[in-house]
Amino acid sequence: METPLIELREVRKDFSGVHVLKGISLSFRQGEIHGLLGENGAGKSTLIKILTGVYAPSSGEILLEGKPVTIHLPIDAHRLGLGAVYQDSELAGSFTVADNIVLGNEPGGILLDRGAMRREAVAIMEQIGLDIDPGRRASTLTAAEMQMVTLATLFHRRYKLIILDEPTARLSAPETRLLFGLIERFRREGITIIYISHRLNEVKELCDRATILRDGLVSGTLEREEIDEDVVTQLMVNRSSAELDISNPGLAQSQVILELQDLSTDRLRPLSIRLRAGEILGVTGPLGAGMEQIERSLGGLGAYRGTISIDGRVCDIGSPAKARAAGIALIPEDRRKQALFPNLSLGENVTLPALGDLSRVGLIGHGRARRYARSVVERLGILPDAPERAMRYFSGGNQQKAVIGKWLKREARAYVFVEPTSGVDVGAIRQIYEIILELARNGAVVIVISTSVKELLALSETIAVIHHGAISALLPRVKFTRDSLLAATISATAPAAVAEPTAA
Amino acid sequence: MAGTTVNSAAERRAVRSQANLALGILKRWGTIIVIVLVGLLFAVLSPYFGTVSNFNNILFSMIVSALVSMGLTYVVAAGSFDLSIGVVVTTVSITTALLIPHTGWELAIIGALVVACAIGLVNGLLVTYARLSGIVSTLGMMFVLGGINQYLTNGYQVPVDYGQVAFRFLGQGRLGPIGFPVILLAAVFVLGHILSTRSRAGHYIGAVGDNPMAAYYSGILVYRWVIVAFILSALFAGIGGVILTSISSSAQPVGGEGYLLEAFAAVFLGATILGKGKPHLLGTLLGVFFLYMVSSGMNMVGISFATRQLFNGLVLILAVGANALLNREEIHLKFI
Repeated sequence: METPLIELREVRKDFSGVHVLKGISLSFRQGEIHGLLGENGAGKSTLIKILTGVYAPSSGEILLEGKPVTIHLPIDAHRLGLGAVYQDSELAGSFTVADNIVLGNEPGGILLDRGAMRREAVAIMEQIGLDIDPGRRASTLTAAEMQMVTLATLFHRRYKLIILDEPTARLSAPETRLLFGLIERFRREGITIIYISHRLNEVKELCDRATILRDGLVSGTLEREEIDEDVVTQLMVNRSSAELDISNPGLAQSQVILELQDLSTDRLRPLSIRLRAGEILGVTGPLGAGMEQIERSLGGLGAYRGTISIDGRVCDIGSPAKARAAGIALIPEDRRKQALFPNLSLGENVTLPALGDLSRVGLIGHGRARRYARSVVERLGILPDAPERAMRYFSGGNQQKAVIGKWLKREARAYVFVEPTSGVDVGAIRQIYEIILELARNGAVVIVISTSVKELLALSETIAVIHHGAISALLPRVKFTRDSLLAATISATAPAAVAEPTAA
Repeated sequence: MAGTTVNSAAERRAVRSQANLALGILKRWGTIIVIVLVGLLFAVLSPYFGTVSNFNNILFSMIVSALVSMGLTYVVAAGSFDLSIGVVVTTVSITTALLIPHTGWELAIIGALVVACAIGLVNGLLVTYARLSGIVSTLGMMFVLGGINQYLTNGYQVPVDYGQVAFRFLGQGRLGPIGFPVILLAAVFVLGHILSTRSRAGHYIGAVGDNPMAAYYSGILVYRWVIVAFILSALFAGIGGVILTSISSSAQPVGGEGYLLEAFAAVFLGATILGKGKPHLLGTLLGVFFLYMVSSGMNMVGISFATRQLFNGLVLILAVGANALLNREEIHLKFI
């Protein structure tokens, strides 16, 4: 059998006595797309950080093309041709696309040859089929374009192994197709891809093999034809996927809580909708087509026209502070950057919005704050149950719970979730869904903005699809099937069976 | 405001694109337009302002400040701060004056510039490998050098022998109508400009300042280029120190600190020039020129020193503020 590109032998990693990787043996073949699945905390990100030199393994061996290598620093990984594209792409915003693609490997000596730099970048872009103006500044690119430019940079550096971490998390369906095309070309060029995703369909479609990690160990490696939802779920959590099914039983009450009247922005055409207590509205559509405008308006992050009323009162939501005062809780997608304080403890994070209630004469009661933090941690099932631990050490799912925990005391009238389960493991997804349904059951309005069709079908009572800044379908959940919703998301047409939208 | 006139969509678009065009022009040329207008204003107010000899005087007076500011540009472009540059001017000046009697002027200059580079190297090492912030480490360096300057001079000025004709030519000589140090400044500027726009060093310093993470993952040796930026900063300040020594035929124990604030003003003013929004050498040079031009003009018109200080401060805040308005980010949460 041919030598694998990378072989890991009994790789272990401890963090101050905690065993995160307990002996991983795994190989990646030349030119394969290898899916990597596993719950958060299973060791995926640690493994990736070892391959890219962010962490050094505690023990074990890494072989590159049969020869043992040491990767102690990112620069080592770079020299060996191992690289990763992280969810937030790393580009220099004030540099052009071309400058970014050749960054670090510019032609020329002490002086740069700008003409050659551009020609080289254009040649790369043509080779991989990337159609972006090379002279554009990187800061003007969309998330998808940034990701593809990042891929082009790795291609230019002749990386042998490229790790993609949830690359489609922020991409719409057409953008995902473009990305997959790019990945296929990379495969044909003989580049090995490690594809980390929580979206099994993508893994099934794209990957030659897939490895499932569980609890710091390899729980199984599947060939393409073996990749199957039931098998994968079983390997991942020891639980069949049927158990994961959850749905909204119809929680809406009669009283209208949140009313949007002719809400519009520069990228959203006037939109009117009334949401009742307990109603969960799912919003989907291609990324950048307008659904993010709803989140921005309701979260106080951008200017809007029209009115937003809560309990019949018109609210001015010009800033996040005003949104909070009006009773709207925004749980953003980029939790680490926008909702959590990574260096503060879990306890400090969840008590922060409730400090007013936990203080007496302006001083924080530490005992009470601690008890409150503990109660939130218990109620949401945050693991590990360690309120003193810094937030950044928690997994994606537990971070998401902590963000929700921040709002528990304040009892918001409306919760806006953006991609609530992106970067969250299967086990925690169910718990987060239950928490969201519980919020609705308690009479709050919930808006879930998500690109995951499955998620919307599980959670929503009403579903809105937004295309080109306008609602193309606004229907009760029961009018949609998985296929029809997917079709509506991709093609901007309302399901044919229903003639006109029901909601006002 | 709303609903006063109902324009057609096309008209509104036209108005908006015109407004965008105007805004674009303002962003790019605004600072330069202000510089030219202020220059014209002084030329109208004073018959002596708009003369070639006054232009020469302005250039001559700004030499040291321009060198210090140009050096600082690299550090700010790399995303850090260097508060030690003002004192470096003094230290290098003292070193030059002390060395000349022992080594001759050529080696004295080389020795003094090596000292400057060593200071920059230490600054660079402190902010990279020692993980100190640029502000803290160079503030510390500022005090350390201030102390050393006192030790070296005992608080007295160090004279340069009047017989050092060649050395004095550096700061006091003329080639035709133009002062020799102005030519030196021009030469350093051209080299520095090529360095920052055409060379690998300048490109990487810009990349590091823009997105250090991207630079790191691109395999760029981030620390190296930050250190290079600090060395360049100290070296440019050092060249200023050498020329200052030559101009005044002596080294003063204190006084370089004044260049620091001018340099920061010039760099941030310069970043608004041509709408780049980030420091660049041409902008910095024009920024220094503007500060000295205004100073000269106000002097001629008879405006007091206090008013000039006030004006300089206001101009800086207005220029940088206007630029921030034009380059508005949606949410502003950086307070450095």
